Amino acid sequence: MAILALKSRPTEITPDADKSGAIELVRYVCAIGAMQTAAAIPRVVPITHCGPGCADKQYMNLTFYNGFQGSGYGGGPVVPSTNASQREVIFGGADRLRELIESSQLVLDADLFVVLTGCIPDLVGDDVGSVVRDFQKRGVPIVYAETGGFRGNNFTGHEAVTHAIIEQYLGPWDGVREQGTVNLWSLLPYQNTFWRGDLEEIKRLLEGIGLKVSVLFGPDSEGLSEWRNIPRAQFNLVLSPWLGLSTAELLARRYEQPYLHIPVVPIGARESGAFLRKVAAFAGIPADVVEAFIAKEEKRYYNYIDGFTDFYSEYWWGLPARFAVIGDSAYNLALTKFLVTQLGLIPAKQIVTEDPPVEHREAIQAEFRAIDEDVSVDVEFVEDSYTIHQALRNADFGHKPPIIFGTTWERDLVKEMKGSLIEVGFPASYEVVLSRSYVGYRGALALLERIYSTVVSHSA
Amino acid sequence: MVLNLKTSSVETREQRLGTIIGWDGTASKLADESAFSRGDCGGCGTKARRVCELEGPFTQGSVCSEQMVECQAGNIRDAVLIQHSPIGCGAGQVIYNSIYRNGLAMRGLPVQNIRFISTNLRERDMVYGGAEKLAEAIRLAVERHQPKAVFIATSCASGIIGDDIESVARTAEAEFGIPIIPLHCEGFKSKHWSTGFDATQHGILRQIVRRNPEKRQDDLINVINLWGTDVFSPMLGELGLRVNYVVDMATVEELAQMSEARATVSFCYTLGTYLATALEQEFGVEQIKAPQPYGFAGTDAWLRELARVTGREAQAEDYIAREHARVKPLLDELRPKLKGLKGYVATGSAYSHGLIGVLREIGVEVDGSLVFHHDPVYDSEDPRQDSLGHLIENYGDVRHFTVGNRQQYQFYNLLQRVKPDFIIIRHNGLAPLAARLGIPAIPLGDEHHALGYQGMVNLGESILAALQHRKFHKDIAKRVSLPYKQSWLAQKDPFALARAAS
Repeated sequence: MAILALKSRPTEITPDADKSGAIELVRYVCAIGAMQTAAAIPRVVPITHCGPGCADKQYMNLTFYNGFQGSGYGGGPVVPSTNASQREVIFGGADRLRELIESSQLVLDADLFVVLTGCIPDLVGDDVGSVVRDFQKRGVPIVYAETGGFRGNNFTGHEAVTHAIIEQYLGPWDGVREQGTVNLWSLLPYQNTFWRGDLEEIKRLLEGIGLKVSVLFGPDSEGLSEWRNIPRAQFNLVLSPWLGLSTAELLARRYEQPYLHIPVVPIGARESGAFLRKVAAFAGIPADVVEAFIAKEEKRYYNYIDGFTDFYSEYWWGLPARFAVIGDSAYNLALTKFLVTQLGLIPAKQIVTEDPPVEHREAIQAEFRAIDEDVSVDVEFVEDSYTIHQALRNADFGHKPPIIFGTTWERDLVKEMKGSLIEVGFPASYEVVLSRSYVGYRGALALLERIYSTVVSHSA
Repeated sequence: MVLNLKTSSVETREQRLGTIIGWDGTASKLADESAFSRGDCGGCGTKARRVCELEGPFTQGSVCSEQMVECQAGNIRDAVLIQHSPIGCGAGQVIYNSIYRNGLAMRGLPVQNIRFISTNLRERDMVYGGAEKLAEAIRLAVERHQPKAVFIATSCASGIIGDDIESVARTAEAEFGIPIIPLHCEGFKSKHWSTGFDATQHGILRQIVRRNPEKRQDDLINVINLWGTDVFSPMLGELGLRVNYVVDMATVEELAQMSEARATVSFCYTLGTYLATALEQEFGVEQIKAPQPYGFAGTDAWLRELARVTGREAQAEDYIAREHARVKPLLDELRPKLKGLKGYVATGSAYSHGLIGVLREIGVEVDGSLVFHHDPVYDSEDPRQDSLGHLIENYGDVRHFTVGNRQQYQFYNLLQRVKPDFIIIRHNGLAPLAARLGIPAIPLGDEHHALGYQGMVNLGESILAALQHRKFHKDIAKRVSLPYKQSWLAQKDPFALARAAS
């Protein structure tokens, strides 16, 4: 079958393709997995134009066998799909897509539809844009993003979806910015097992210093009204090593809206305090407001840490000293920072697994190198689990059993190493996660409970 | 019909069997329209097997053939599955790893991660082809795991760009000296995922099963199944028979020896139709042509046929009598507790026929079922395997019998029509909706749960346990908002859109 020329995209979202090799035991999914990004916005429904298994595969492994999070109002099995067949491959699927969009409006109660494409329409060259634009002209709230699996992963697909909504759904804006309001761009919904609880805690922290926060995704988002208000916010906050940056840059170009980039998602009192002070300085919030909130949070936090001190100093049967983190850059950096700076654990191996775009890798490296004043970490970027597991086997964990912060893929390996495993990322198939959070002040305490319950339960 | 094992691609179910994915009516009408023992077609088209199919404009995400390859070829313990695809197809690695690990644990086998490698095709490969990446992935598979066989699953993308997977596989097979088996399972090629079972079985038949077996193992029975607990060994042990479980969690050697076995059985004709028929056609391994082993009627008939074929009638009759005596008092205790309850079955096709029989056997009312596809005939073309016919003859008609490809939006209307007390389900995506309507689900991860005589007791007890969950479901039902328009929820006909379009 002849291949048609690929359409060019305005922004290149695929990282260095030539270096990509085989991947065993995946740690991310493909761009159309961002159907769950759309579904993470209340009352938004994705429409997938792809083969019959694509939608099911993406949601079942992102939303089910990853913390059993549930797939949301308009995600998972709700998602319309063309289930493209031989007919659409040979004759093109634009008509079928048009029919599906028409009928979706009859069946589904949605504020916005987001059309996402899979490999088939992107390869056969369906003009999805013109199909969707026809509906847009008729006033149907609908946007589209090209997310064929060969174009990138669900991180880049996520940015393609946020760009699509901003560019195709949000109008021009020349009003007055509302001081003290912020849009939060942070963890990747559903890929990060704990994103809902974490966004809730981050929102709580920012509200604690007097900001009004749009989290945009998840149960704490107000849905599309929040998205429509994006340009009104005083600034955008990108709280992750790289994800969300291109969205913030787009908003800066489009609305001249400033943004603040903080790469480290805060875990524990030290990082949370530092985070809040940085945000406050950028937002122009008076120091006394910030310090009062930090003091109140720290009082509670250290009261519990005080209780934990007995255990940490006196547990007879030994606690792990060295750890490894295998995961997406955001959580990897956050956890490593916390474990090194607050618990004094020794980092043995840190591997970033989400294939960050090459242009961001140096900055990620730099963050790890400066993890603490006396500790520098050399992070690796690997996606293939076999290679990752070999690296872990060869790492120096000293004479004590290690603690591995990783995924379900590490279960067998950790048994082999007689260590402890905390499943903190995709896929976490042996964790049930509802509102649990590992970030901020409260999340750090939950994380400590999880780590040391795991360790202690191994001891007899 | 002769199965063609000469070509590397399996013929799709719709081509072979006339499989449909949209239909609504009574079970007896569907049986009448299906070829099998009943002969006549429903009047659509001139082919012998052609049931009128409902096709609508609105469809929700289904399942693809490649997923069935993952759950079969990907679960062979000493093989590696390569997915020649962009990374998204590899998403199934997560799902089937969890199922595989739990299946191994249930069967008492060493727990381990699945071994899947994605070739990770990127944009560049779409233009220049991915053959080199495939060759490299095969090399990695061999070096890393020293497998006894390597399976290659194709994908929509690799199919469209036309990668020559056959020649890559042949070259690698010559180099590494183990079977390297392409499985053609492009999602767009078949409208129903069950073709993926056949694709796996086709590859195993062509390249793993011993072609000229030197010996016969006259007490060995191939059991085509998935991950279920080992209920067949004790049962067949009563007849002095040994079990060869295929395909999931088998070893390559266990697959190879299928041609030496005395006969082949399965828990579900949807899953087993192709492999069992081909084993008979190619190697003379008899396929047991009987009702499926559910309820008294099915299990009795199934055991008797297996006994007849293997010459163990007396042992079978003794076993049947003992089991009847053992199970009947247990069922007498269960039936009053289950009286007045209404169940609904939403599973694969032949499996549903079996489960409805079990429910009726234990006194639960069933007047609705959703099957995800319908094969008007199985590959054997033998009326003794007419599982739908067996259901109707032994247990009566099912008023609302629906064929639908796991469409959640229709499931709402289907449940409204029947208003069951619980549903039985094996595939994801529908139980969450039922839960939000206050209806608890029995998710059958262990496909052997309701099988045989003990299966009736098992299912009865599971129903009583699931009903306790009603407290949870009634609570959530009051709080939930469904993503469907009121106008659609008020629709009485689940196929209204399809009928309007035709």
